Amino acid sequence: MSADGAIVIGWWELALAMLFVLVTGGLSIAMSLKLEKDLAIATVRTYVQLMALGFVLRWVFANQTWYIVIALMLVMITAAARVVLKRAPDAPPGLFGNAALSMALTGFTVTFAVTALVVRVPTWYEARYVLPIAGMVVGNSMTGIALAVERVFSDMESRRDEMLAMTALGATAWEAARPSVRTALTAGMMPTINSMAAAGVVFIPGMMTGQILAGADPLEATKYQIVVMLMISAATAIGAISAVMLMYRKRFTDEGVYLEKGLRIQGRKPK
Amino acid sequence: MGVSETALLSARDLRAERPGDDGPVAVLAGIDLTLNAGDVVELAGPSGAGKTTLLLALARLLPGVTGDLHLVGVAARDIPAARWRTRVALLPQRATLVPGTVATNLRLPWELQVRSQDEAPGDGALRDALTDVGLGGVSLDRDASRLSVGQASRIALLRVLLTQPSVLLLDEPDASLDDASAAQVARKTAAFAAAGGAVLRISHVRADAAACARYRLEHGLLTQVSA
Repeated sequence: MSADGAIVIGWWELALAMLFVLVTGGLSIAMSLKLEKDLAIATVRTYVQLMALGFVLRWVFANQTWYIVIALMLVMITAAARVVLKRAPDAPPGLFGNAALSMALTGFTVTFAVTALVVRVPTWYEARYVLPIAGMVVGNSMTGIALAVERVFSDMESRRDEMLAMTALGATAWEAARPSVRTALTAGMMPTINSMAAAGVVFIPGMMTGQILAGADPLEATKYQIVVMLMISAATAIGAISAVMLMYRKRFTDEGVYLEKGLRIQGRKPK
Repeated sequence: MGVSETALLSARDLRAERPGDDGPVAVLAGIDLTLNAGDVVELAGPSGAGKTTLLLALARLLPGVTGDLHLVGVAARDIPAARWRTRVALLPQRATLVPGTVATNLRLPWELQVRSQDEAPGDGALRDALTDVGLGGVSLDRDASRLSVGQASRIALLRVLLTQPSVLLLDEPDASLDDASAAQVARKTAAFAAAGGAVLRISHVRADAAACARYRLEHGLLTQVSA
């Protein structure tokens, strides 16, 4: 047991947790699900990535400088931007900059707003606070942004006839795309809103659970969790809106014509 | 037909390609076309010949097109694309209505920035317009999703006509209509031309009796079939 009352998990107990995976793998083999290989890889990645993160954070907390903290945030943002685009197969190529910009906008503004105004950390780059909060902001908003980006492009493609009719009537790209933008932002925000509505009734949120298990007072953990949930909703909204607004226009020509699949000719730039 | 002082829309050397199995295929291989006030011009040709492509090109709704377009003598480059489309109006083959009522759809053009200074037609004008195409029994409050394909296509046509464009580009406007409804559409387009507009319509099913010229598009080239 640690000094603050938390029960410490030893290396042996950590290895014991593998039993859960072995059971799942056994079920996969018994039912011919063919998931055992993916499960094994995912398990190894979980151990390696999280252990590496633990060592990195321990080192960063001991040797923190502002540039190390910012560099780690940029790594998170870059990885998140890649995930956002990977989940949007209908998105046009060359959007990495836009995805990274949206993730950076939401990651930096929300993280530092929370650490400076709510948590009031003594040093603005206090790694113990900034990095976990940035991780939650970037990780959670990434899911909402990815949903919104995937949806805006898939919805525009399904509305291509409607958009052609509107453009033929004189609609601008924004007027033609607006219903898809609304649909996409709703899709991106809905999981966060649902999660906020169900928190404390249907489930105990992950961060609060972690703090309680680590020995924190439940009421103090609750306060942090409320801040985190509101912060995530703001991060998702800022990120999804900025990403969708930066990206939807890429599917239109300068003259406001939507480039449906049949018009996306490889190697030819639209007029 | 031919270049004249009343030419509403003229196209010179329009060219467009699309990807084919053995490289790019010229869908429009140098099209020259002039539409004068009062013209109803019919366009025919085999499936896939590029009839819809030509209409899209004339409405400036197709990227990658080369050639010259003029509207009443003014070059396309001097007219913003959205403004051009309010004057050279395309009615796509698939009539697509937006979610909402019949009135919402008929007034859609006036919700757009390009007509923000114009006044939308009132209920009386909309009801008269519906009656004029045999849709007198359709309420303005009816949800667009409850319209038949034929009703929707006539409402899409009305929506364009109410905006009073100069040139009407119709992509098989009567493909999903019975003979009586098709005759109403033909009457409306003839009246539009008689009032000083020009019509270019793709016809597959029926010939338009009011047509002053018929063209055939094949292998990227336009040939006049009859005047």
